Amino acid sequence: QEWKVQINVNAGDDEYRIAQQWAKSVGKKTNGEITIEVLPTGTIVGNNETLDAVGAGIIQGHITDPGYFSGKNPAFAVYGNMVGAWSGPEPFLDYMRNAGGEEGYNRLVEPYGVHLIRAGAVGAESLISKRKIESLDDLKGLKVRAPEGMVSNIFQLVGAAPVNLPTSEVYTALEKGVIDAADYTVFSTNYQQGYHKYAPFAVYPGFHSMPMKDISVNKALWDALTPEQQKILEDSVDAFTEQLITELQKKDEEQVALARQKGDVTLTALSEDELKKFRQAARNEWSRWRDRSPQAKEAVDSIQAYLRDKGML
Amino acid sequence: MKKLRSTSDDHLDACAPEPGHGLLDRGIRRGGQVIAWLTFIAMLVSVYEVIMRYGFNAPTEWAHETTTFLVAAIFALGGPYALATNRHIQIRLLLDRLSPRKRSVLELLNLMLGILFCVAIGYAAWVLAYNATHAPTGNWRLETSGSSWNPPLPAFTKIVILISIALMAIQQVVRIATHRRARPGREATK
Amino acid sequence: MSIEIATYLMVFAIFVLLVLGLPLAFVTGLVAAGFTLGWFGPVAVPLVASRMYGFITEYSLVAVPMFVFMAGLLDRSGLARDLFNAMRFFAGRLPGGVAVQTLVVAFFLAAISGIIGGEIVLLGVLALPQMLRLGYDKRIAIGVVCAGGSLGTMVPPSIVLIIYGLIASVSIADLFKAAVIPAAMLMIGYMLYVVVMCMRYPHMGGAHLEQRSNLPRLTLGEAFKGLFFPTAIAGLVLGSIYGGIASVTEAAAMGALGVLLAVLVRGEFSLRLLQESLTQTLETCGMIVWIGIGAACLVGVYNLMGGNRFVSSAITGLDVAPFVIVLVMMLIFLLLGMFLDWIGIAMLCLPIFVPIIIELGYDPVWFGILFAVNMQVSYISPPFGPAAFYLKSVAPPDITLTDIFRSMVPFIVIQLVVLGLLLYVPALSTWLL
Ligand code: NA
Ligand code: NA
Repeated sequence: QEWKVQINVNAGDDEYRIAQQWAKSVGKKTNGEITIEVLPTGTIVGNNETLDAVGAGIIQGHITDPGYFSGKNPAFAVYGNMVGAWSGPEPFLDYMRNAGGEEGYNRLVEPYGVHLIRAGAVGAESLISKRKIESLDDLKGLKVRAPEGMVSNIFQLVGAAPVNLPTSEVYTALEKGVIDAADYTVFSTNYQQGYHKYAPFAVYPGFHSMPMKDISVNKALWDALTPEQQKILEDSVDAFTEQLITELQKKDEEQVALARQKGDVTLTALSEDELKKFRQAARNEWSRWRDRSPQAKEAVDSIQAYLRDKGML
Repeated sequence: MKKLRSTSDDHLDACAPEPGHGLLDRGIRRGGQVIAWLTFIAMLVSVYEVIMRYGFNAPTEWAHETTTFLVAAIFALGGPYALATNRHIQIRLLLDRLSPRKRSVLELLNLMLGILFCVAIGYAAWVLAYNATHAPTGNWRLETSGSSWNPPLPAFTKIVILISIALMAIQQVVRIATHRRARPGREATK
Repeated sequence: MSIEIATYLMVFAIFVLLVLGLPLAFVTGLVAAGFTLGWFGPVAVPLVASRMYGFITEYSLVAVPMFVFMAGLLDRSGLARDLFNAMRFFAGRLPGGVAVQTLVVAFFLAAISGIIGGEIVLLGVLALPQMLRLGYDKRIAIGVVCAGGSLGTMVPPSIVLIIYGLIASVSIADLFKAAVIPAAMLMIGYMLYVVVMCMRYPHMGGAHLEQRSNLPRLTLGEAFKGLFFPTAIAGLVLGSIYGGIASVTEAAAMGALGVLLAVLVRGEFSLRLLQESLTQTLETCGMIVWIGIGAACLVGVYNLMGGNRFVSSAITGLDVAPFVIVLVMMLIFLLLGMFLDWIGIAMLCLPIFVPIIIELGYDPVWFGILFAVNMQVSYISPPFGPAAFYLKSVAPPDITLTDIFRSMVPFIVIQLVVLGLLLYVPALSTWLL
C-alpha cells in the first residue's frame, strides 16, 4: 500500500529530509508492502486540518505538532508542549513510551480515527531576540511572537507581551521592529534564513519549549496491518526520532559554531535559578489547563505523577 | 431601465450589470449592507491592536483572531452578495455571440453547474462544520482556536462558510425557477 | 488514468467551463470537486472544504478588504480626482506622464504591501478611471494597473520571496536584496514602454484631450493641494511599516483609517459614502476571494493526485546541459502560471526544483528571483490571470476580460525580456549580496 503522510515543515527543512529517509527505510523494511510519500506543509490540507484528514482517510498519516489541535481538545496542548515539564527530549520520550503517555495520547486521538505510531520529539527551540535575554526580567515588556497555546500564556505570566503572528510575517515583523523576539524554530533554521540580521541575540539552548512530534496514521489502516508490520513501523519511528534529535542537534551546534566564529549572533543562556523561576511560573499554568477537559486533566495528572515519581518536580 | 454606462465618478454602481430581481436576491443585498460593516470593525480592531502594542506595549490577545474571523466572514458572505448583484466574473465570449434562445439555454446550464458546485462543496462544508461543532463522541462542542484566548471562532467561521454556500445554492435554484417563466416575456421585449 | 492524462483533462475541463461562461468563482472549485469525487470518491470531499477554510482564514489576506475599502473611499471622495489632476499638472509635457507617475504610485504601494490583490483593486479603482478620464488609451491604462499592481509581490516586503525562502531554506534578507534590481528593471521597462508608445502615438497618452479645454487647468498651489492628502496617507502607511509600528497587514488598516480621516477633514464625509464603500468592499471581496478559494481547492486535489510526480517526470530523465534544465523549469513555471495561482506552483514545483538547482551548482537566491519574475508573468497571463480578475472586479463593465488580457501582451513581453536578462546575467540579481 501507498501512504501519503503530510509533515508540518517546509521542503527545505532538515526535518523534511530526515522524514523522507524514514519513509524510504519503511519501504525497505516492509519489502515494499508499505511505501510512504512525505508531503511538505500545506500540500494537501492546512496544519490545523491534518487530524481530520487522516481520520477521514484523505491522507494516510501526519507528522506534526499536536498543538495545532488544541482547539479540538486542550489535552493536545498538554501532550504537545507542556512548558516547564521537560528539560529535554529524553525524559519526555521516556514518559510517553514507558509511563503511559502514548496510551493516553491514543485514547485522545483514536475517536478521531487516528492512531499514534510512536511519540517523537525534536530538540528545544531557540528564542531569537533583538534584546539580550539573560534573566526573566529581560523578558518584561518584550514583544515576542509566540504560537498559540501554553507557551504564549506563560510568556504573559513572566511579563512578556506575546504577539500572535503567522510564520510568514515573522521575518518582516522582526525586520521592522513590530516584534522584539520570536519563538519560531530551532537555531540552525533561524540562522540559515538570516533572522539574526534583525534579531542578533538568541537564547541557546532554548528553555521555553519542548514540542512533541506526533507521528500517526489512520486507525483503520493501522488495525489492518499485521503485528510484524506494526512492529516495523514502531521501530522505524523510534529510529526516526533518534535521528531527528541527533541530526538537528548536530546541525544546531555547527551553526552555533559558525555564528560564534562570524560573531553575528550573541548567544545567551538563562541561569539555573532563572530557569527554576520560569518552571515555577509554568507549573502555575498547568492547573489552569487541567480544568479545561477530562482528557487534559488526565494528561496533566499523569505527567505530574511521572515527574514526582522521578523526583523532577 | 437603468442605463449601463460608465462615468468616472460613480462607475462602480451606475454601470453594474442588472442585479437579480428575486425576493431572495433583494434580501441578500439588504443584509449585505449590514454585513459590510464588518470590514469597518476589522479596521478599527487592527488599529486598536497597533495602538495598544506600539503605544502601551500591551498587545491584545484577541485582535488578531478577531480580525481574521471578521475578514473570513466578509470573504465568505461576499460570495452570495456578489451573486445577488450579478457581479461574479465570467467570460462572456461565447454567451454574447449566441442567439437569445441559445444563450438562455447556456445560462440555464451554467446555473445548473453552479448548483452542482454548491452541492459538492456544500457537502464538504457540512462535514467541516459538523466536525467543528461536534466532538467525536457526537456531543455538541464548538471547536476553539486553541490560543490563550481560545474563542470558538474556527467553528463560527466554518458555519459561516456553510451558510454562504447554502445561500448561493438557493439563489441559483430560485433563478432556474424564475428563468423559465421570465423567458418568453424577455424575448418579447427584444 | 495516469497523472499525465489527468493533468490534460483538468486543463481541458477548466477551459471548457470558462468558455461556457460559468462564473470563474465556480470554475476551479467545480473542477476540484469533480476530480476529488472521480479520483478518490466521497471520502476525500472534505479536503475541498478544508482547503477553503485554510484559504479564507489566511492572515495575509486581511489586508485585501482594507485596500478595497481604501480604494472605495478614495474614489468616492474627490481625493482620487484631485490627485490625478495634480499628477497631470506635474507630468507637464512628458508623453504618458500620468501613466509613468501611476507606476511610481504602484511602486510605493508595492513597498507597503506583500500580497497581490489589494494593490490592483486599489489602482483599478483609483487610477484606471482617472487615466481614462484624462484620455489615456485603455490598453496603456489597464496594463499599467495590472503590471504595476503585481509588483507588490516582487518589491520587498514580498510574500512570494518569504514563502520561497521558507520552502527553500534560503535567507529572506538575501532574497529581498536580490529582488531590488530586477523589480526596478521591470518598472523601468514598463515606464519605457509607456513613454515610447505615447511619444509615437500621442493620442494613447491623452494628447488629443490636452488641446481641448474641458480638462481643468490647475495652479501650482492647487496641484500641491491635490498631492497633500495622498502623500500624507502614504507617509502614514510607509511610516507605520518602516517605523516598526504596524505589521504589513495591519498597515493596510492604518491606511484605510488615514483615508477616512482625510475624507473627514476635506468635508466630503457622509454616511452614504461610507456605506457605499463598505458595500463595495463586500462585493469585490466576494468576487475575488471565491476565485481564489476554487484555485486553492484545485491545488490540494492536484497534489493529492500526485501532480508533483508529473512535474518531476518532466525534469528527471532529461539528459541535457544544466542551463537547459533551468530553462525547462522556467517553461514549467510559465505553463503552470497559466492555470494555477503562485502559491500552488510554489508548493508543487519548489520542493522538486530547488534541490536540483543547488545540486547543479546554481545560486538558490538567483533562482528565487527567477521564480518571482515568473510569478509576475503568471498574474497577468491568460486564462487564469489573478491580476486580470482583480481588475475586472472593479473596472467599468465596458472593459472586458478580453480587453484586459489583450492589454497585457506587451507587459508580458517586457517581463520575459527581464527574465531572459536575469537568466543570462545572474549578477543582476546577486550583485547586491
Ligand atoms: Na511588496
Ligand atoms: Na496566469
